[in-house]
Amino acid sequence: MCWVCDEYGDGTRWFLNPQNYARFMYTVKRPGDAPKEYGSDPEAQSGRILGEIMTAKMQDPEKFAELVKKANQRDMAFPKGPIQLAQTVTLDEAKEVCDISYPIAAMFCLCRHHVRAQEETNEHEYSCTGLGVGMFKSERWPERYKGGVHFMDADEAKEWLAKWDKAGFMHLLMTFGASPSGGPYMGGICNCSYPDCLAVRGRLDYGLELNALKGHYVAKVDYDLCNGCGICVQRCQFGALKFEVVKDRPNIDQFRCFGCGLCQSGCPQNAITMVERESFPALKEVW
Amino acid sequence: MIKIEIDASKCTTPFACKKCLQVCPQAVFMVAAAKVEKFKETDPKMPGNYFLWAHYIDKCTGCGDCVNVCPEGAIKLVLEEGSNG
Repeated sequence: MCWVCDEYGDGTRWFLNPQNYARFMYTVKRPGDAPKEYGSDPEAQSGRILGEIMTAKMQDPEKFAELVKKANQRDMAFPKGPIQLAQTVTLDEAKEVCDISYPIAAMFCLCRHHVRAQEETNEHEYSCTGLGVGMFKSERWPERYKGGVHFMDADEAKEWLAKWDKAGFMHLLMTFGASPSGGPYMGGICNCSYPDCLAVRGRLDYGLELNALKGHYVAKVDYDLCNGCGICVQRCQFGALKFEVVKDRPNIDQFRCFGCGLCQSGCPQNAITMVERESFPALKEVW
Repeated sequence: MIKIEIDASKCTTPFACKKCLQVCPQAVFMVAAAKVEKFKETDPKMPGNYFLWAHYIDKCTGCGDCVNVCPEGAIKLVLEEGSNG
């Protein structure tokens, strides 16, 4: 079983456990408390730790290996530790989240803002999805929520996620701090791609596992249904999918597969199925 | 080993300019607001409001595209012995 589900799922998948959406996300400010500086939030703290790790990669390879090993320990993830936890989900799983979470809002993507200086200033440009009460504080932090947020109902959110899936973005379920029930707090469904997603990049280029855990599925090709069109190859963000020239069919490295389902949703032949990760003896502990 | 030196006195509005950020094949650069304040949006056109740094420097191949594209001549590639890998 997925260790996050094991710990925070309460019998179901952790992101389907309503306790992890409990609305009291932030500590209540008491009179006399100093106002919090920007950068003291869990997201920024997590970012700083990962920044140190990247610096170490260049300057001190031994220290780098040590820091990565430490950062990959499960207790380092929210809510026990400081590192922002995220897991790959399929479009269908992301849609299920839309039925549980409230509110849901389209907002600008902070990663693309940082990495490619992408400007997303209104609902037609936004490419990220925020969940929960954090969305109500967008007016307080206009730099973090450029142009504000665009609230969506569950159906609109599902269509919105499908739009990004079609365009070739995979979904990461992001946590932002802890929920009062003791679990990670569900804060967003990102539409991600390499290299502009900081989380995907942290995982692929630096081996930071908690940043982007693999999902509950693994993709499998039916070689008879497949006609070798190659559309799936363009859609894989993880380098798991190559075109096997000899077979004239795609080849999925199931160890590298994150189970995002992009290859499946793009396949015109319906030749790709998402199989439960835990049905593979060698993959069930690979997250 | 490669270093990217950015002269902040020349590179003053990196978010608005964004040429190096978009041209880099390895997406090495990052840009961020120098200061984030409550109830205030940072204007990317105001000099000094945003700053640029080579965050993913270990991925830099030294191709020099950023140096060539920079309209201010603010980026310098410094090559030292040893590899990035």
